Amino acid sequence: MSERDTRDGRLIQASGTFSPAAIEDIQVKAELGRYRIRGFGTLRERKWATFDDLTFIPCSLTRIPLEGYRERCSTRTVLGGKQVENPIELEIPIMITGMSWGALSYNAKVALAKGANIVGSSNTTGDGGMLQAEREYSRHLIYEVLPSRYGIDIHHLRQADGIELTLGQGAKPGTGGLLLDAKVLDAVAQQRNLPIGVDQRSPARHPDFLGPDDMIIKIEELREATDWKVPIFVKMGATRVFDDVRLAAKAGADVIVVDGMEGGTGASAEICQEHTGIPTLAAVCEARAALEDIGMYGEVKLIIAGGIRNGVDAAKAMALGADAIYIGTAALMALNCNKPLFVEDYHALGTEPYHCHHCHTGQCPVGITTQDPDLMKRLDIEEGAERVANLLQAMTSEIQILARACGKADVHDLEPEDLRALNAEASMICGIPLAGTDRIWGGGPGWKDRD
Amino acid sequence: MATVACEGKTPREINAEIKRLSTAGEAKITVTDPGARHNLGVAVLQPSLIRFEGSVGYYCAGMIDGPTIEVSGSAGWGLAESMKDGHVVVEGHAGNGAAAAIRGGTVVIHGDAAARLGVATKGGLILVGGNCGYMAGFMGQQGTLIVCGDTGEAFGDSMYETVCFVGGEIKELGNDAVVEEPNADEQAFLTTTLKTHLPEKNVKAFKKVVAGRKMWNFDKQERALWREAL
Repeated sequence: MSERDTRDGRLIQASGTFSPAAIEDIQVKAELGRYRIRGFGTLRERKWATFDDLTFIPCSLTRIPLEGYRERCSTRTVLGGKQVENPIELEIPIMITGMSWGALSYNAKVALAKGANIVGSSNTTGDGGMLQAEREYSRHLIYEVLPSRYGIDIHHLRQADGIELTLGQGAKPGTGGLLLDAKVLDAVAQQRNLPIGVDQRSPARHPDFLGPDDMIIKIEELREATDWKVPIFVKMGATRVFDDVRLAAKAGADVIVVDGMEGGTGASAEICQEHTGIPTLAAVCEARAALEDIGMYGEVKLIIAGGIRNGVDAAKAMALGADAIYIGTAALMALNCNKPLFVEDYHALGTEPYHCHHCHTGQCPVGITTQDPDLMKRLDIEEGAERVANLLQAMTSEIQILARACGKADVHDLEPEDLRALNAEASMICGIPLAGTDRIWGGGPGWKDRD
Repeated sequence: MATVACEGKTPREINAEIKRLSTAGEAKITVTDPGARHNLGVAVLQPSLIRFEGSVGYYCAGMIDGPTIEVSGSAGWGLAESMKDGHVVVEGHAGNGAAAAIRGGTVVIHGDAAARLGVATKGGLILVGGNCGYMAGFMGQQGTLIVCGDTGEAFGDSMYETVCFVGGEIKELGNDAVVEEPNADEQAFLTTTLKTHLPEKNVKAFKKVVAGRKMWNFDKQERALWREAL
């Protein structure tokens, strides 16, 4: 971005190509000798179509709204295919996504578990295995099986209410996990069977399967290991969503999780966070189109993740086809991520509250993304859990108020017809008419022509 | 001794029968005609001896904790993957990803092992009587990998603390893998281990392969190494 200023009467202009940010980036890498690593997720200005480019069109005469205070609007969410004995039955459609103990502190993991439990939601383990406290405090616990297989334990896996076979994540699809030395300390290193203080790099591929044909068998193995009782999720970063979702559904997944490029991470190459994957809005539309294409929409459940900030984003994603929503970064913010507390510690990291993306350093000022016992103490588990529960409840209420206004007695009845696009790009991506017109820009519906 | 006949049964039915017998305390279970079915003997958690008379498909003995599982034929991909403890013996060959991410126990493959043997191991002991394929030992964290024959390319790439021993030729070392001489204790361990698990093998000398530890933490001076690895 070019910058103009006048000093001493002269016009100074920065290069549009070699902007100050680009120059700084070059000079940092000239010192580092490698790509830049940080946490949080994309920091780019959102110039692509997002959920903000859609608006709900509630009832007036053509449809009748529900009474907000008197008429029930169900939020019950069931995840599980026909093949499983025990589907997951949640009270709300907002769930906590997988974040590892290691990337997060013990207090953060337990607070998330407790918070989700208070409102009848679920928690997910992460790369590094399960904490006993997570199991103890989670009514619904989803156990992640990642390429690294850190902390995988058959006895833990069999205690889970769902298994999530993770192929990738939205912030860094196609790459493995990263946990820098400051976080690979005693207990975390022990649980992951790693030497203390290494920069842990995880494999990008699973060690025992490669493609969708193998994954069919892998999913069956997980079913055998859990006696066919619990649903199997397949989680992927949003890239070739239309094809990947069809393959995962055909491979036997009960639930497919699509994580868009606005998703968060504890640490990865900055370029992956900024320049890989597709936006969550586009991902949900492709995912729904994929399941419809193979006649499995509604049968295979769809969870959408990646930069979901509030109940409005969640409601729009659900109207576009999601059965449930994962949140990660937003849940951490409920735990005080980026809150102006201990401001001097933000300054020590070279940042400010509301601008911090230094999860990778292990020096989280508010005790969330750290293994430092003193910093971790700053996060009170009970208070954090209460705030997570409040956020989940508030988001659910936001979905309900929109659903009621659209005349829906169940949040899962929200549909594309309840939305209009505010610009041509959103119309084209979502297959939703541009507001004020009856046409879908780009010849939609959906992400490509259906003729 | 109990027998489970596979003919006409699905893996789910076969596994249910194996687990029922194993849980009931049956000491030895023979499984006939496995027909290379996938997912046999998955997640068995009791210390029974289970013998498959024939070849098995993918993920045989995956995620077990405690049993001894023998395969008289060959095994498909992901043999004993993520095993916590137990003893797995394959008298034939094993496909890709054998013993991937095991945490403990012993996997013995009398024949050859294909690519990605012992990737991301967290512990345990892996013995291969024959050769192994590409990228064996990749990101091995802990445990021991012994290959009596030759290895493929990228052997021992990006390892942490897994210790490898190779009796034959190493086609190519992986990133950060270095060759050392086994010490006297390790020589004695190899002799005893081979005598116990692969007595027919007569390997004169093993090379030891471990991590050079240059990739445990980034160092910009190691440009060539990190260009391959990052």
